[in-house]
Amino acid sequence: MSWRPSAAYSMLKARASLVAGLRQFLSGRGSLEVDVPAISAAPASDIWIDSFEIRDPDGKPQGYLLSSPETYLKRLLAVYAEPMHALVKAYRANEHGLKHATEFTMLEWYRPANKDVFATMVQDISDLVVLFTAFGAPRVVTYRELFEAQFGLNPHTVTLPELTDCAISVLGPGAIDSQNLDSMLSILFATDIEPHLVNHIVIDFPVVQASLSRVEADSFGDFVAKRAELYLLGIEIANGYYELTDVDEQQLRFINDEVRRIEFRRPVVPRDEPLLQALRHGLPESYGVALGVDRLLMVITGNQRLAKCMTFGEVQ
Amino acid sequence: MASISTSGFKSGLKVLIDGDPCSIVENEFVKPGKGQAFSRVKVKNLKTGRVVDKTYKSGDSLEAADVIDLDMDFLYADGEFYHFMMTDGSFEQYAADANAVGDVLKWLKEQETYIVTLFNGAPLVVTPPNHIELQVQQTDPGIKGDTAQGGSKPATLSTGAVVSVPLFIEEGEMLRVDTRSGDYVSRAGKK
Repeated sequence: MSWRPSAAYSMLKARASLVAGLRQFLSGRGSLEVDVPAISAAPASDIWIDSFEIRDPDGKPQGYLLSSPETYLKRLLAVYAEPMHALVKAYRANEHGLKHATEFTMLEWYRPANKDVFATMVQDISDLVVLFTAFGAPRVVTYRELFEAQFGLNPHTVTLPELTDCAISVLGPGAIDSQNLDSMLSILFATDIEPHLVNHIVIDFPVVQASLSRVEADSFGDFVAKRAELYLLGIEIANGYYELTDVDEQQLRFINDEVRRIEFRRPVVPRDEPLLQALRHGLPESYGVALGVDRLLMVITGNQRLAKCMTFGEVQ
Repeated sequence: MASISTSGFKSGLKVLIDGDPCSIVENEFVKPGKGQAFSRVKVKNLKTGRVVDKTYKSGDSLEAADVIDLDMDFLYADGEFYHFMMTDGSFEQYAADANAVGDVLKWLKEQETYIVTLFNGAPLVVTPPNHIELQVQQTDPGIKGDTAQGGSKPATLSTGAVVSVPLFIEEGEMLRVDTRSGDYVSRAGKK
């Protein structure tokens, strides 16, 4: 392994200027930058996010490296109800690839809003694209539109056997074995839709992918997750949630994640009790957006490798 | 043989898929932020040469294929098999059938060194060197002094391969040929 930095000097400059610009973008909109710990007692509950567990020299568990600053920002939001952001290193085990690294830089911001929460969030993401790239305002499309156009299936009502048939015709026979609904949707989306999303904000995700976002009925009467995801040049850049504030619903989602973790033989992790307490105390109506800074840099500088956009990236 | 999980997938890795030996050409890690991770791989079936896309969940594994590439000299053909010998001084010999030799037949020359790919100890594929020197067996006489035109004509080489050569090339000359494209490269000096 080389001792040298993986980024060229010009990349370091582009990075510094992007980070400064992003901070200005948020503080200009009244957001306060806050410092949060890098370690939390409970990791993300999402079944497909592997957090690093930390142990002291005696082997005693000391918590988990953050996979996102979400828990801390929501606890801050519950108390102060003011727009806030954090620029952190986020960690996800077992993620290595041209567009993935186990340690990466994440900018996450939360903003309370009294009305039009979702629309305000989409506008926020759109403004960011206009400001930091040469692409102009992104096209806003629903997950349903994309899925129907590509596969002729309604992603909100489709059954697992239908998706499996579709995957076999798209990916070839035996290319994939039987999956859960969430994973089948993911792989089809990632293979045949994502590469075509050059400057798009995808909204209204299938409920199985709601994570910590609110669920509402769309104009067709199907329940959808109020998420908005930004894609540039086929790369997932940012992910916005109309945040769930209902503590009972949050508790159910945690239990659901725990059940799925057992079902899929993933490690069961401690429940994020402080987050539940914060929600019980009361989270204001708000949205939250997480942005992959290194990936945005890939797009801005036209670089195909994430590692080249990081100062000391993982060399493949 | 050992099984290899998706985290160990890399280009050049030889694996068994549906019983056939395959080589991983490309491996892409795919993972939506909150979704399950996958490996999208392009694999080349070493028997048929066909390249296909496959998708595996992270954590899935494939069995490693007992496939090795070895340098061997071509010795002779006996009508059914093509005999090769290791160049490492062991004098170990292997007999490849017509399937393994395939299209390489037209580049098969005695004393030349080839890469013979063994699968479970038997020759699976024979790969010629990128460049090979072969003698012109037959070609129509060219017109003297017509080199400026840059015209070409067919020439049949000692192995039976037909390549397009410049007009000044004569029968009996040794030529350097690119086996990947089948193109004439240069003269290799007379013999």
